[in-house]
Amino acid sequence: MTQTTLPPVEKTQPVSSPRGTISDRSRAERKLGWLLAGPAFLVMLLVTAYPIVQAVYYSLFSYRLTDPENRSFEGLGNYWVILTDAVWWQSILVTVIITVITVAVELVLGFALAMVMAKALSSIRPVVRAAILIPYAVITVVSAFAWAFAFRISTGFVNTWFAWLPGVSDTTDWFGGQASSLFVICIAEIWKTTPFISLLLLAGLAQVPDVLQEAAKVDGATAWQRLWKVTIPNMKAAIMVALLFRTLDAFRIFDSIFIMTAGANNTESVSFLAYRQTISRVEIGLGSAVSVLLFLSVVLIAFSFIKGFRVDLAQARGDR
Amino acid sequence: MSTKQKTWWWIGGVLIVVYCLFPIAWILSLSFKTTADLANKQFLPSAWTWENYTTILTGTASDLFLPALRNSFGICLIATFISCVLSMFAAYAIARLDFPGKKLILGTALAVAIFPVISIVTPLFNLWRQIGLYDTWPGLIIPYLSLTLPISIWTMSAFFREIPWEMEQAAQVDGATTWQAFRKVIVPLAAPGVFTTAIIAFFIAWNDFAYGISLTSTSRARPVPAALGLFSGASQFQDPTGAIAAAAVIVTIPVVVLVLIFQRRIVAGLTNGAVKG
Amino acid sequence: MVASTLAACGGGGGDSATPVLNWYINPDSGGQAAIAERCSAESNGAYQIEVSQLPRDSPAQREQLIRRLAANDASIDLMSLDVVFPPEFAQADFLAPVPEDVAQEVTEGVFQGAVDSATWNDELVAVPFWSNTQLLWYRKSVAEAAGLDMSQPVTWDQLIEAAEGQGKLLSAQGRRSESLMVWFNAMLESAGGQYIEESGESPDDIQFGLSTPEADRASEVMAAVANSSAVGAGFTTASEDTSATEFESDDAGFMVNWPFVYAQALSKVEAGTLDQSVPDDYGWALYPAVDEGTPSAPPLGGIDIAVSAFSPNPDLAYEAVTCIVQDENQAEYMVTNGNPASSIAVYDDPEVQEAYPMADTIRESLELAASRPLTAYYSEVLGSFLREFHPPGSVNDQTGERTETLTRAVLSGEQLL
Repeated sequence: MTQTTLPPVEKTQPVSSPRGTISDRSRAERKLGWLLAGPAFLVMLLVTAYPIVQAVYYSLFSYRLTDPENRSFEGLGNYWVILTDAVWWQSILVTVIITVITVAVELVLGFALAMVMAKALSSIRPVVRAAILIPYAVITVVSAFAWAFAFRISTGFVNTWFAWLPGVSDTTDWFGGQASSLFVICIAEIWKTTPFISLLLLAGLAQVPDVLQEAAKVDGATAWQRLWKVTIPNMKAAIMVALLFRTLDAFRIFDSIFIMTAGANNTESVSFLAYRQTISRVEIGLGSAVSVLLFLSVVLIAFSFIKGFRVDLAQARGDR
Repeated sequence: MSTKQKTWWWIGGVLIVVYCLFPIAWILSLSFKTTADLANKQFLPSAWTWENYTTILTGTASDLFLPALRNSFGICLIATFISCVLSMFAAYAIARLDFPGKKLILGTALAVAIFPVISIVTPLFNLWRQIGLYDTWPGLIIPYLSLTLPISIWTMSAFFREIPWEMEQAAQVDGATTWQAFRKVIVPLAAPGVFTTAIIAFFIAWNDFAYGISLTSTSRARPVPAALGLFSGASQFQDPTGAIAAAAVIVTIPVVVLVLIFQRRIVAGLTNGAVKG
Repeated sequence: MVASTLAACGGGGGDSATPVLNWYINPDSGGQAAIAERCSAESNGAYQIEVSQLPRDSPAQREQLIRRLAANDASIDLMSLDVVFPPEFAQADFLAPVPEDVAQEVTEGVFQGAVDSATWNDELVAVPFWSNTQLLWYRKSVAEAAGLDMSQPVTWDQLIEAAEGQGKLLSAQGRRSESLMVWFNAMLESAGGQYIEESGESPDDIQFGLSTPEADRASEVMAAVANSSAVGAGFTTASEDTSATEFESDDAGFMVNWPFVYAQALSKVEAGTLDQSVPDDYGWALYPAVDEGTPSAPPLGGIDIAVSAFSPNPDLAYEAVTCIVQDENQAEYMVTNGNPASSIAVYDDPEVQEAYPMADTIRESLELAASRPLTAYYSEVLGSFLREFHPPGSVNDQTGERTETLTRAVLSGEQLL
C-alpha cells in the first residue's frame, strides 16, 4: 500500500543506471529518509514519550510539592485510591456523557453543514466557507467565555430571549445544576468543533462517485434512499476518521469546563481532575496517576475504534 | 437546480453563516457595553463605549494583557516556524523517498496528536521547574511542538504528494543544476502547502490553554488564553466581564483575518491532512 | 557573594547598584504599586521595589506562588498573601523568618485577628498589611418597613423573616468558592464553635470541630438562608459581585459583604449609571449572629506580606515590608483602594473617617473578627468543605460530620479531592 505513494520519480529513472547499484541507492535513500524525518520523529518522541514515562514513575510515589521530605514509595497505592474513589468515576461519567452527546450531535449537524456546503451556490460558497472556519479558528477559551456570558444570569441574554420556553425564565440559573451546566458546556463544544467535522465530511462527500448517484437516480431511488444507500456507505472511511478524531478530542475536554464551571456541580472531566491534583493541590504522585489513567483511557478508545470499527487510517488518507 | 431548490440552499447557507458568527457577534457586542450595561440582559449595549478596550490596552489590565499578547505572538510564531521546518524535511522524505519506517513516523504523529495534553503537563511541570524552563518561552515552545508537529507532518506530506516531482528531473534535463531545479521548480510548487500548514499549526498553538496555565506563572511567558482567566475588575471582588470580552475580541481578530484571506487554502489543508479527497 | 551577584542579576532595569526587590501583589487599583514607588524613593537607593501581579482569586494566587517557590525561585522577594495561606507557606519552609525587632514593630496596635492569621506555631511568619471584614448591609427603607431595629444585634432568622416579609432580597455568597467557607466559618464561630479546634504538625493531629452541635446549628442556618424565598435567583453561583449588584437593584433588602460595595455604588453614581438615592439608602451594621444572645463573629480577610525564604536579600526585604505597612501607607491605601487597614490607629485618620462613613463599624467588626481555619492544609480543608457544603441548600446536620470524614481521608491520601 504505502510503497506506491509517489512513484513517478522511479518511472523517470535514467535507464542508464546500472542494475547492481540499486541496493546501494535504496540504502542511501533509506539513510536520507531517516536523516530528514528523524529530527521531527525524535522531537515528537521527546515531548510525549519521555514525559509519560516520567508520569508513570511519579505515579508510584506519594509526593507533595510543599512537603518533599515526606515523599514515599507507594507502589500502585495511588491507582487503588483513584479507582476506588467515586470522584474518579463521576469524572469518567461526565466525560463520557459530554463525549457521546457532542460527537453524536456534531456528526448529524456536521453532515448537514457539509451537504449545504457541497450544494451551496458558487455565489455564496466562499462566504459560507469563511464563516465555517471561524468557529474552528477561534480560541476555545474565547468560545467558552462567550457562551458562559450568554447563559449567565447576570450578563446573559439567553434567559431574556428564551423566556417563552417552558422551564426558562428570567431567573433560570444554567450553571446552578449538573444537567443544565453540562448542556451549556456541550453547546459551546458543539459550536466550536462542528465545522471541523463538517470539513472532513465534505471531503468524504467528494469521494462519492457521481456515477453511482446518477445510476441510483435512474433506478428511481428517492433522495433519502440515495443518502442512506449510496452516499453514506461510500464515505464510511471519512465518517470513521471524523468520529475517531472528535471522540478522542472530546474525551480530553478541559478548557471549556475550566472557564465555565471550574468543575462545580459535578461537571468535572477527567482532564480537569488530573489538572487539579497536580497543579492546584501540587500532589505530584496522585496527579501523575490520574494522568496515566487518562492516557490509558485514550489509548483504549483509539484501539477499540481501530480494531472494532476497522478504521483504516492509511486507506482513509488516500494511501491507496 | 430549480429556483425553489436554489432558494433553499441559499437559506441554508445563510443559516450556517449566522450560526458561525453569532457568538462572535455576541462577545463583540459585550465588549462595547459599559460596566453598568453588562447586566442589561440584552444582546446589544444600550450605550456604546470603548471603556473596556482602554482598560486592557492602556488601563489597569494592560500590565496583564499586553505582555500576554506579545508572548502569545512570539511563542506561537516560533513554535510554528520550528514545526514547519522539521515537518518540511519529514514530509519530503515521506512523500518522495522510499524507506522503511515511513508508517512508523506517520503512526507516531497520529499517536502524538491524540495524546491527552494534561497527561504530559504534570511531568513537564516538574521537569521544567528543575531545569529552569518553567515560566519561559522555550518552556512553552517545546510542548507546543507536540501539538503542531503531528498535524504539520500529515498536512504537509499530503500536499507534497501532489507535487509533480518529475518536473524537477525535466528541468535538470533542460540543463538546470539540482539546486536551480529545486529552487525554480519545486519551491514554488511546495510553498503553498508549507504556508497552509503554517497557518493551521499557528491556529493550534494559538488555541492552547492547558500548557499556558500550567507551565507559566508570570507575564514573562504567560500567553493570552491563560491571561484571560486572570483579569480582575476594579476591585478584587468585581467580575471583569467587560475586559475579558474586549481581550477576547482582540485575540480573535488575527485568526479571523487569516481565515478571511486564506479560507480556500485552509480548507484544503485541513481536509488533505486527515481525509484525502 | 553569591547572594549579591544574584541580586545584581535580578535587577534588570534601573540603577545597577540598587538591589531590586520583586513584590508579587494581588490585583488592586494600583495602590500597592504606588506604595512600592514611595518606599523605593524613601529608601534613598537602598532598594528598588518592582511589583508583579498575581491572579485574581486567592487559590490561584497560592497556586502560582507555590509552584515558583517549590522551584526555589529566587526572583520572588515579597508576596502579598491572603490571610489563609501563611501557615502552609511557613510549614513548607518557604518563608524567611521575621526578625525579632520587625515582629515587635509590625504587631503593635494591630488587630488581634490579623496578627493571629500571620502567626504559625507561635511565631510571626508574615506581616499584617490590610484587613478585610464583612458587614451586614441593609437598605434603611426596607429595615424600617420591616420594623427591624438595626442599632441592636440582629440574627439570620430575623433577616430572613424581614426580607421575606417585605418581598426583598437577602444577598449572600452561595457560590462554590472560598466565599462559602467565609460565610460558614462566621456562623460557626458565632454559634461558639471552631472549624479546627486544634491544629497540629501532621494531618493526624488536627482536631476538627465539625461534629458538634455548634456546627449543626451553623449548617441549619445556612440551609435556612439558601432555601428561603429571600435569596436571589442563582444563589448557588452567587459571588460577592453578584450580591453587590443585587444590592443596587430595586429588590435589595439585606446583604453580607465586604466594604468594597460602598465604593462600587459611589463610582456607579459618579458614572451616572446609578441614582444617588441608592447609596444614600445603604445602612451598615455588624455581621449577623446565629442566635439571639450569641456574639457576632464577622469574617476576617485581607492580605499579609511575606518574605520568601529564597530571597537573596531577606533583610532588605523586611526593611521594605516595614516601610510598606506603616500607618500613612495603610491609610492612603484604604482611602484610594478601599482596602481597610490592619493598624487600629488608621481608623482615626480624618481622611479615612471622611471617605468611610462606616469606618467605626469596620473597626468594631475587625476587633470581633474570627479567622478562617488556620492550617497548613488549608486548600484540602477548603476543597473537602466545598464538596460537602455546596450547594448550601442541601446542607443538614450530617454535613459537618461527613466533611470531617472526607477531610481526614483526603489528608491521609486515601481519597481524591
